[in-house]
Formats: sequence, C-alpha cells, structure tokens
Amino acid sequence: MLTFRDVSYRYAGASRDCLHAVSLDVPAGRVTGLVGPSGAGKSTLCLIAGGLAPRVIGGRLIGEMRLDDEDVSGWPMHRLAEHVTSGLQDPAGQLSLVADTVFDEVAFGPANLGLRRDEILERASTAMRQVGIESLAGRDPRLLSGGQQQLVILAGLMAMRPRVLVLDEPVAHLDARGTREVLDAVAALSGTGTAVLMAEQRTSALASVADSLALVAGGNIVAQGSVAEVLDDAATVALGVEPLPEQRLRMRLRAAGLDPALLDAAPQDPAPLEPRA
Amino acid sequence: MGVSGAWLRVGGGLVVFVLVALGGLSALAGLDVDAALDRFALVMMVAIPAGVAVYALVEYLQTGRLDSITRQFDTRTLVLMPVAMALNIVLGTVVASALKVPIYLDSIGTILVAALAGPLAGAATGFLSNVIWTYLAPPPFGSPFAVPFAVVAVVVGLLAGTFARWGWLRPRRGASGRQLAVGGALSISALIVMTLLALRVWLAAAGADGIAPEADDGAFLILGWVAMSLIVVTAVGLVVLLVRRRDLAAAYILLAGGITGVVAAFMAAPIAASLFGGVTGSGADFVIAAFRQAGADLQQAVLGQSLISDPVDKVITYFVVYLILGAMATRTKARFPQGQYLLPAAADDDDPAVYP
Amino acid sequence: MTLLYIPERRAATPWHRLDPLTRLTVGVATMLAAVLLGGVICPLLLASVAVVLPAALAGVLRDVLRTGLLLALPLAVSVVIVNVLFATGTTEQGIAIAAEVVVRVLTMAAAAVLFYATTRPSELVASLQYHGASPRLTFVIHNGVAMIPRLAERAREVTAAQRARGLDTEGSWPRRARGVLAVAAPTVLGAVREVEARTLALETRAFARPGSRTVLWPPHDTAGQRVARWGILVALLVLFVARISGAPLPC
Repeated sequence: MLTFRDVSYRYAGASRDCLHAVSLDVPAGRVTGLVGPSGAGKSTLCLIAGGLAPRVIGGRLIGEMRLDDEDVSGWPMHRLAEHVTSGLQDPAGQLSLVADTVFDEVAFGPANLGLRRDEILERASTAMRQVGIESLAGRDPRLLSGGQQQLVILAGLMAMRPRVLVLDEPVAHLDARGTREVLDAVAALSGTGTAVLMAEQRTSALASVADSLALVAGGNIVAQGSVAEVLDDAATVALGVEPLPEQRLRMRLRAAGLDPALLDAAPQDPAPLEPRA
Repeated sequence: MGVSGAWLRVGGGLVVFVLVALGGLSALAGLDVDAALDRFALVMMVAIPAGVAVYALVEYLQTGRLDSITRQFDTRTLVLMPVAMALNIVLGTVVASALKVPIYLDSIGTILVAALAGPLAGAATGFLSNVIWTYLAPPPFGSPFAVPFAVVAVVVGLLAGTFARWGWLRPRRGASGRQLAVGGALSISALIVMTLLALRVWLAAAGADGIAPEADDGAFLILGWVAMSLIVVTAVGLVVLLVRRRDLAAAYILLAGGITGVVAAFMAAPIAASLFGGVTGSGADFVIAAFRQAGADLQQAVLGQSLISDPVDKVITYFVVYLILGAMATRTKARFPQGQYLLPAAADDDDPAVYP
Repeated sequence: MTLLYIPERRAATPWHRLDPLTRLTVGVATMLAAVLLGGVICPLLLASVAVVLPAALAGVLRDVLRTGLLLALPLAVSVVIVNVLFATGTTEQGIAIAAEVVVRVLTMAAAAVLFYATTRPSELVASLQYHGASPRLTFVIHNGVAMIPRLAERAREVTAAQRARGLDTEGSWPRRARGVLAVAAPTVLGAVREVEARTLALETRAFARPGSRTVLWPPHDTAGQRVARWGILVALLVLFVARISGAPLPC
C-alpha cells in the first residue's frame, strides 16, 4: 500500500504550491481512481506517487510518502522504481527506442535492475501473458497501434514486479478498442495484488475499473470514497467532472420533473464506453 | 567546491592540452609525414582527451568524485543526445546532398546539447554523431566521410558548452540603448573582422585581381545567391533581435558563431585537404574549385573555403539553436544540467505565467 | 517455464555469425588503413581482402559495391573537378592525386557499407555491452540510430499535414523558404518536446541505476576472434609507426 500524509508540492521556480497537504491511500489489489477537472493536480499527484517528482523533475515536496509503512522519501529513483512504476499518456513517447522487438521492450526494465538473464526472460514472458500480448513478442514495438503500444508499456512496467502501478491517463490517446484492452489489462493486473493509482478524464472509462475514487480539485482531495459516492457527490457535479451516461440521464429526468427511479425497473447494462470524438 | 576549484580544473586541463598540442606538433614536424596523415588532427586527437583527462583527475583529487562530469550526462541529457545526433545527421545529409550550398548545418544538435547540458555532453554528441553517421546511419543517411571530422565536432561541442556556461545564449531583452549601441558596434566589428579574414585568404589565394573573371561563372553565382540568402535571413534575424526586440543576445550569438567557426575552419581544412583532396561532395566544393581556378594551392583553397563557410555556418547554427531554446518552456530548460545559464537573468524568480 | 519468444537467428553466413565487435574492428581498421596506406595499389589490395572477400562471403557483394559507389560518387566527381580540371600543377599530378583520393574514398565507403549492411544496431549494442561498454553509451548510440528514420518520418508527416492545410512546398524561392520553415520548426521542436516524456518513462524503469546490465542476447565471441581483433590492432599500430617514421610504401 502506498500512503500519502499531508503531501504538499511546488514545481521548481513556481511561486505557490500545486498540491496542498494531500492525504491518500492506494491499497494493494485495488484500483484507486483520480477524477477532477484538468489542471486540478491529478498529473502532479501521479508524478509524486511514481517518485518522478521531485526526483526527476525537481521541485519541493513536503509531507510523508510511505510504501507499506516504510518511508521512501530518501530513496533514489532507481531504487523506488523496483517497487513503484509509472505509465504516461503518449504510448509511442514512452518506448525506449532501443528494443527491436516487443519482448526486448518489456525486458528493458528488468534488465536495468541487473537481474540474472533467466529471471529477466521469465519476468518478461509472465508480464506479456498477464497483459495478453504474447502474440506480439517478435514484433517491432514502433510499428504497433497506440493501444498495442500502451499494452507493451504496461507489460514493461509489470515486468518490474512493482507493488504500486501509477497510470496517468493511459487511455487518453487511444480509440475505443485500445481503451477497452488497456482497461481490461489494468483490471487483470490489480487482480494480481498490485496497487493501482489511475488518473483519467473520462469518468466512464475510470468507473469501469476503479474500486474507489478520489476527487482532486485545486490541489486538494475534496472527496474520497466508492465510485458511486464520489460521482453522485454534488461537489463532483459542480466541478464539471463528466458524469456517467446513466447518471446524466437521471439528472435529466429529475430536471424534467420525472422520477429517476423508473430507470431501476429496466434491466441494466454495464456502463458502455463512448468512443472519443 | 568554490569557483577557484573549478578554475584550477579548467586551467590544468587547458595547460596540459596546450603542452601536448605544442609538443606533439613540434615532435611530428621533425618527421617526414606523408600528406595523407593529417598532423594537426592527429595531435588534437591526443591533446583533447589528455586535457579532459587532467581536468577529470584534478576534480577527482579535489573532491573524490567526478560530479561536474557525470552531472552533464543525466537521463534527460542522454535522451536528448540521440535526438540531437539524428538532427545533425539528417540535416547535414539533406544540406550536403540536396541543397548544395557551401554550409553544413550539421552541428545544430551538438550545440543544442552543449548549451543545455555542458561542454563534455556537447563534445560527446558531436563525436558520436560523426561516428554513427559513418558506421550505423541507415541509408540514405550514411556518409563514410564524416568520421574523420569527429575531432572537429568535439571542439565545436566544447566551445559551445563553454560559451553557454558563460551565459552567451541567455536572452537579454530590454537592454538599454547604450548597451545595444555597444553590442551593435561589437557585432559589426566582429562581422568586419570575419569578412576581412575571409577576404584576405580569398585575395591571397586568388591574387589581387584574380577573382573578377571567374565569378561570372553562372552555376557559381546561383549557389552564391542561395548561400547569401541563408546568410541574409540570419543577419536580418539577428538585427531584428537586436533592434526590434532589444535582445542583446544577437551580439553574443555572432561572437560565439564567429569564434567557433574560425576554430572549426582551422581544424577541418587540413583534414579535408589531406584525406579527401579538399572535397566533401557538397556545395562547399564549388567554392574550393573557384579558389583553385584562381590559382590557390590545395591547402590554401580549402582553408579559404573553410574560413568563409565555417563562421557563417556556425553563426546560423547558433541562431537556430537560440530559436529552439526560445521555443522550449522555461521549466523544461531549467531541468537540464546547464539550463539555468540559458534563462533570462530577470526571470529566475517567480513567474506564475510559466508554471502551473 | 517456456519462453514466449526466442529471437530468430537468421540463416547466417560465417561473416554474419562473427561477433559484431569483430566486424566493427575490421571496418574501422580498413578505413584507417586506407588512410595510412598511400598510393593506389595498397588500398586496392586491402579492399579486396578486407571488404570484397567478406562481402562475397556474406552474400552482400553487389549491395556493398553498389551502395559504396553511390556514396563515393559525388565526392569522386568533386575530387576530379578540383584536382584535374581546376588544378594549378600539371594534369598528371592532378590525376595522380585524384586517383589516390578516389581509391581511398571508395575503400572507406565500401568498408562502412559492409559493416552496416551486415550488422543490426541492436546486435552491435549488445556486443559492446557484453564487452563492457557503459549501458548509457550504448543507449545513446542505439537510440541515436533509431531516431534518424524517426525524425525523417516525422518530417514527412509534418509535410503531409502542412500540405493538407494548403502549404506550398514548390514554386518561388520565398514560398519554398516558408515551406521549409513550416516543416522544419514543428519537426525539430516536436522531437525536442518528446524528450521530457521519454526521460520520465526511462527513469520509472530504473534506467539511471548505476552498474552493469545483463546482456539478453550475447554475441558469439570466440578465442580466435579475440586474437584476430588484437592482431588487427597491432598491425594497424605497426603500419602507423612505419608511415610516421617515413618508411616507404610496401606496394
């Protein structure tokens, strides 16, 4: 479990804090979602959770960050990376460009850890199976679709065997199919006991995998709880966070003077994903 | 480690470099060296690593570590270097083979890395660019003739990194009228010196009245115009910087480009002359041909061409790098090892417009 | 546990099976020797032993000769123009210089082409790492090679996008200049902007960890090849000393 206690962060050169005394738990085996308007601090929170801020991008961090009750503030990036890894938005931009094959790309992280050869091969193979990209092993990662590339990145992160996986809008650049595949993989990974922290603009995408949500606004976490609790919260709606389709329908029914409860009579489908325009 | 410690390292490195260079040159001068062996490049290949090694040794003795060197090769720089190398190779190939203008534009990446990360990172970028250009670049970007010039690229990187460390690539907007006048005067004198230097070599090569008839050559004239237009664009750009945006950096760019260019010319010309009969298969060859036709011997002709092409090339290159740096976000630049020396002096305090 | 993927060993020739470092040594040594050896006959002998023979062995002789010629041609033409047509000395002197340079340039070009036509960058990088090169150095080399076509591809994409928006890349000079700028600026800046994301992506995968890395696919080095590499280096050194002390050409 990754724990934040009263974490404040200021970018290098900035005049005010971007996050204000944030506290958050990211428990093992569950997907913790971050929602909120853009610019609220979701990405910053992801950078901090992944250890990249302040280690790689500079800035000033105050507060406590613990990994399974161990204070990790003083750890260098390469040590933290053995336990916490991060995925970003742009799939192609994350490729190492030093791997001719998907297999080598997935093995890049474990190889950096200086493991023995057979352990690297085993980890890469297992991670590819977990994510479901065994059939791509011999392909050139640069020539895959965005969704496939994001799966390759995900497998590469999993091959590090992290306790915590941080994902900052991993499906933002993907089409409907790629989104579905990546979300399925995320759900499968959290099923293996990994703690997942995932920020996402599209509420419907996040709601389909998250076990709990935290609402970030103005550099604070303003609401925390189950998916339904947070999304039905008046603050969430007021902040303009995209509601789920069903929620939107209920709100419209209510606004039109109808009883939203009439929806409950109808058989329900799981929240469908909308293709991004 | 204070300023004096850094000076001791740099001074030690420079002294050893000069000693090795002079010693090597005088040692080789006594021998009957074949024309194919370029003495100057050979000595540099020993003297530069020797200088760097002494710098490293002094730092290690002072601090027990090599921070000032390893710091220049952080992950961010190691990711930028390949981009810069590709930029050198792709642009260099296109300019040399397609445009046929007597400039090279193959050191933009080198100078960019040197500015952001430091002299040694710049030198490494220049060196690896030329090595990859010859041995690993996929067709159609390969060139077997780049690797001998790697030593020149190393020096370009070292110089550019040092100039940037001195703040020469810092924007200096809002300079006072007097500063602008002084900067403008200095720039114009630098231009005049460069022109005179080029002209002197040209005249020495061509003889007092040797140029006029040959200059009527049609192809030569057109190529001259292409090169001239590039030069004019840069010159206009620098003047715009200086006058309209009141950015004194223009003067520094001119100075840095001029110095780097002259040094590069003196290093590259002997290599080109002794290895390849003075030619590179690019637009510069026409300038050499003109010199030869005007009666210069090979060494003179190549040096003459280099002294014309290189400073112009390097001024354009520094100007392009300055534009690239200007287009980068302040906080992105600041994260590079030497980025703080590229920020405008006034804006290193809080700037809420730039930071989220 | 079964591995999902074993990199295919290409149906290789003996030349391909050599450790890439050995092939690199041959290539670099050939280029240096071509410079050290003056005259016309010596470099030609060298080229036939160190370039033509291995190229034939590797089944790439035609490619090597064709690409080598193509690369060397513009330079060769310039050499002739500068030294023969515009020369100050006698025509014979000019031809002698031109012939020497053309042979040297051809040898160098063919040696370089032989190397990169038979070696994938990843193979070389694995070999360099196996022989103790820093993982940072090999990363920069490998990534640099990969970035070249990527940058060219990006330029093509930008060109297509700008054309779609009505940009003119043909026509008069000022128009073309604007076209070049409209393509060059986004290409370069886009590539530079990508640096930040890749930095984060590498750091989160422990790229900055000091120490060595395990080589996944080690090269086939042999005792014979080690001896050969040292032999080539010693021979080169002997040649260098001989030439610098003014010894006459052996052929």
